[in-house]
Amino acid sequence: MTKLLELRDLSFGYDKGSPPLFEHLSLDVSTGEFIVIRGPSGSGKSTLLRLICRLNTPRTGAILFKGRNTAEIPPPELRSKVTYVPQIPQMTEGTIRDNLLLPFSFVRGRQRTAPDDVTLERMLEAFYLLGVGLDQSAMKLSVGQKQRLSIMRAILIGPDMLLLDEPTSALDAESASMVFSIVERLNSEEDKTVLTVTHSDYQPAVPQARSCIFRNGTLECAHESDH
Amino acid sequence: MNQIIEISIPQLLLALLFILIAQATSLVYKLGLNRDITVGTIRTVSQLFLMGYALTFIFGAQNPWLTLGIFVIMVFSAVFIVRGRVKEKQISYEIPTFLTMLSSYFLTALFVSWLVIGVEPWWEPRYFIPTAGMVIGNSMSALAISIERLFSQMRQQRDVVEMKLCLGANYKEASRDIFTGAVKAGMIPSINAMMGVGLVFIPGMMSGQILAGADPLIAIRYQIVVMFMLVGSTAMSTIIVTLIIRRRCFGESEELLLTPQ
Repeated sequence: MTKLLELRDLSFGYDKGSPPLFEHLSLDVSTGEFIVIRGPSGSGKSTLLRLICRLNTPRTGAILFKGRNTAEIPPPELRSKVTYVPQIPQMTEGTIRDNLLLPFSFVRGRQRTAPDDVTLERMLEAFYLLGVGLDQSAMKLSVGQKQRLSIMRAILIGPDMLLLDEPTSALDAESASMVFSIVERLNSEEDKTVLTVTHSDYQPAVPQARSCIFRNGTLECAHESDH
Repeated sequence: MNQIIEISIPQLLLALLFILIAQATSLVYKLGLNRDITVGTIRTVSQLFLMGYALTFIFGAQNPWLTLGIFVIMVFSAVFIVRGRVKEKQISYEIPTFLTMLSSYFLTALFVSWLVIGVEPWWEPRYFIPTAGMVIGNSMSALAISIERLFSQMRQQRDVVEMKLCLGANYKEASRDIFTGAVKAGMIPSINAMMGVGLVFIPGMMSGQILAGADPLIAIRYQIVVMFMLVGSTAMSTIIVTLIIRRRCFGESEELLLTPQ
């Protein structure tokens, strides 16, 4: 498998004078992999995802995406290819259609053709949002529905990789299993590389899954041969 | 036209009665404003007396560099007042605000005194300094509102801004609604003033001219120019300053730098 993402000797701390949250962190992610990073709260799991899509900047080290330093990739391009889905799903005022088509209103998104209503309705069904109308207000959805909608919106911009930050932490067991089922399907059927952080004991049911533990500023991953 | 009636010192002291009313109100209703009212009164009297003497000197000196020097000091003081109203520590905004105020207000005051009123020379302090003073005073409040709104909304809507960035928006697209909201908030008071002028209130400058014995029909012409000038200068300065500060809220990777407070 080809390398999609390479983290090289990363270190990060929030304030200049403060001790780093982590140092000398490295990780290789291959195309099509499904990586689950676990660790206690405050260990830096979410920060790692934010560094990858450059919502935060590392103190030292480099992140390569398809061999290119992410610092040299225009941010809208990088974030359309490596798309971060936050822990708490965010919707804007307006209908579900408005929210799903939001990325297509941006300069970057206008390079792609916006999906029509038939495509969107088919996707809603696949994301367990059957019976949810495109003209419905997005603000009135439950948190679980919003989370599925936000993953669907991320998929619409055609990313190579999804970064999921505690995607099920605010959800009940049923909604959580729906989200993981969707993500596993995106990984195995649409070849989307997935990097998710969680503090749950979720075990992905996909053959290309790899498990890592983030503890005391270090990241320990099971070897490829372990699964 | 009548000659202006001079206010003697005892007559001036009589006006303190209004301050006593304000003090009594604060005392009776426990507003806790007595100290501020006292400081405000002392500052009003001392600052205006100082200004009176300074203007007498400047008008007499007829020196363009002195006029411009006073203008720079006025803008500098305005930035300090804006800084007092905007409680932002993370992003610095004072230098771009100062430079924008300096250039846009200079152009506005120059345009009005030189081209609209037609003063010769353009820096004639009797026209240039009051014109600049009105522009600075009004736009300063507008700027403080816009800057404060920009920072507070950027923080409040941080998650929405980041969501848009993650969906491929550039920093301008991700903060477009916040930017327009901030500029509008700054501009609305001067637009509202255009709606109410002459109907709800008589502006200070026009009242001053009439009290000084000017023909009301001449005074209104000056006031019309002033109203237009204030809207224009407010629009120009709030848009430029808000654009510059918005860029400073984002880092090199177009990441939002403002952290939650």
